[in-house]
Amino acid sequence: MVGQRKFGLFDLFNTIVLALVACATIIPLIYIAAISLSDTASVTQGKVWLWPKGLNFNAYSQVLNDIKIPRAYLNTIMYTALGTFINVFMTCLAAYPLSQREFVGRKYWMFLIVITMFLNPGIIPNYLIVKELGMIDSVWALVIPNAIWTFQLIILKSFFEGSSSAIREAAKVDGASDYRILFNIMLPLSKPALASIALFYFIGHWNSYFLPMIYLNTDTLYPLQVVLRQMLVFSEGSGSSAIVEAAALAPQAKKNATIVLAMIPVLLVYPFAQKYFAKGVMLGSEKG
Amino acid sequence: MPDTNIVSLPVKEKPTFKSKMARLGKRIVRDRQLLIIFLPCLLFYLLFRYGPLYGLIIAFKDYSVFRGIVDSPWVGFEYFEKFFNAPEFWQLFRNTFLLGFLTLVFSFPAPILLALLLNEVRISWFKKGVQTASYLPTFLSVVIISSMIIDFLSPTNGIVNNILNSLGFASKYFLIDPDWFRPIYIISEIWTNAGYESIVYLAAIAGISPTLYEAAKVDGASRFKMIFSVTLPSILPTVLIMLILKTGNMITIGYEKVLLLYNTMTYEVADVFSTFVYRKGLLANDYSYGAAVGLFEAFVAMALLLISNYVSKRMGGNGLW
Repeated sequence: MVGQRKFGLFDLFNTIVLALVACATIIPLIYIAAISLSDTASVTQGKVWLWPKGLNFNAYSQVLNDIKIPRAYLNTIMYTALGTFINVFMTCLAAYPLSQREFVGRKYWMFLIVITMFLNPGIIPNYLIVKELGMIDSVWALVIPNAIWTFQLIILKSFFEGSSSAIREAAKVDGASDYRILFNIMLPLSKPALASIALFYFIGHWNSYFLPMIYLNTDTLYPLQVVLRQMLVFSEGSGSSAIVEAAALAPQAKKNATIVLAMIPVLLVYPFAQKYFAKGVMLGSEKG
Repeated sequence: MPDTNIVSLPVKEKPTFKSKMARLGKRIVRDRQLLIIFLPCLLFYLLFRYGPLYGLIIAFKDYSVFRGIVDSPWVGFEYFEKFFNAPEFWQLFRNTFLLGFLTLVFSFPAPILLALLLNEVRISWFKKGVQTASYLPTFLSVVIISSMIIDFLSPTNGIVNNILNSLGFASKYFLIDPDWFRPIYIISEIWTNAGYESIVYLAAIAGISPTLYEAAKVDGASRFKMIFSVTLPSILPTVLIMLILKTGNMITIGYEKVLLLYNTMTYEVADVFSTFVYRKGLLANDYSYGAAVGLFEAFVAMALLLISNYVSKRMGGNGLW
């Protein structure tokens, strides 16, 4: 913007509105955390606001002693680690050839890939493919059918395009194979881009509940989000009158403690993700 | 998509099929390592992106698990007729369009407004702080967001009802009240996405030439006036593109959230095509019926995208293609 102006009425209004926006995002999260740290009596009487009343960690020890939740947490960590690794690996394998201008059939391949962003066959055909491949009720159903997100592929391909042609020519002259060029030259040079797509895949896996819910049938395989969903459905019940009873209140602190634990990894990677995602959004809107 | 890849241009006479194939063969041999690297990606897209498209033929078949996709008998449009004649059809149709349309109308301006306001902030730490806070909800899972909604609106000790009580009103059970479902859904959508979506508009604003503002300032325009006569017109192309995309996605309701927030009491307003597909197709195992409804939904969505693109172009704006 131009020049220095004094802080006028408009600035005051603007600052207040934006401060309210920021509060509206943050306060619900603080409230959740405050509930999870408060004693049952204060929660029941609705006394808790933005600071825990009767500070204690009972809800957290309940969560940790409930066999289901730590197991689900470990499942989520496993699925997220494996899934993110497969995602990044597959996206690299796809992006490198496509970033080479001379690659045979490049335009056809890109057309084939980009058009899938507009063709959405829906839940059922996807489910049937996974079922016919015998992946139901296994971790593979969660990590293979979405191994490449087209959007992330386009982002990585654009990044590779920025540097690769000259490097590849030079390496080729030196007799390097494409495998070596990809793994020993391109990937080490692309760490920021890889970190960025890995973060998005990570958050995607960590937060997913619908696919695990439809693909997994065994309790012991459930990830955290599915268990959290069961807690919602359970505490809310299917009827309407049963809710009023006080017994339903006790799990609230426990549920919120689970939510806090589920949010922590996302909050930890968030500052890093924030650095990258503006770039991602812009690239996507240019190319998509 | 035109192909300039395989036929090379300098050849004077029209290349014969044989010479084309020979050139293609050469290029394949030359790029064999790249092709091997590319193979997993190709298999992935054929199997998991084009496979389901092929699987859609079960919408025209009476699919049974034992016979499989290929051997199940054809039934033509039977499942589509079943759907169009189903008692739920018009309710689903109305719910899907209303929820999609209202969400679009109310949530579309939010990120634009936010970007305009953020752009006027000159204290950089404050701007960064607001941005950091407002982008965050996009990264929370839909289960967590739904859980917060359920908690806050709980009739027994939810914060909203606590406030209502202290103001002398009776507690209300928002989530079983059909009148409240749409507002709750739309507000939560704005809360989740407005911050993140403002990035696109902020970037568009950042691309506006400063000379435009200087000229406006020389003409004596106030800051308020500059927003309307410089900033908004300059980002209009971006706004239009986003509007086309959003209209195309209008009926693709966030069914993951609806599934968590609706219940039998609110089906009359909350049940949409995709939740119906989930219940009929997956919970009741009527795969063919579910696939038919899903295909119908996809067709309507595609039509909306094409129409909005066409209208935007006719009005002299940008199109997606």
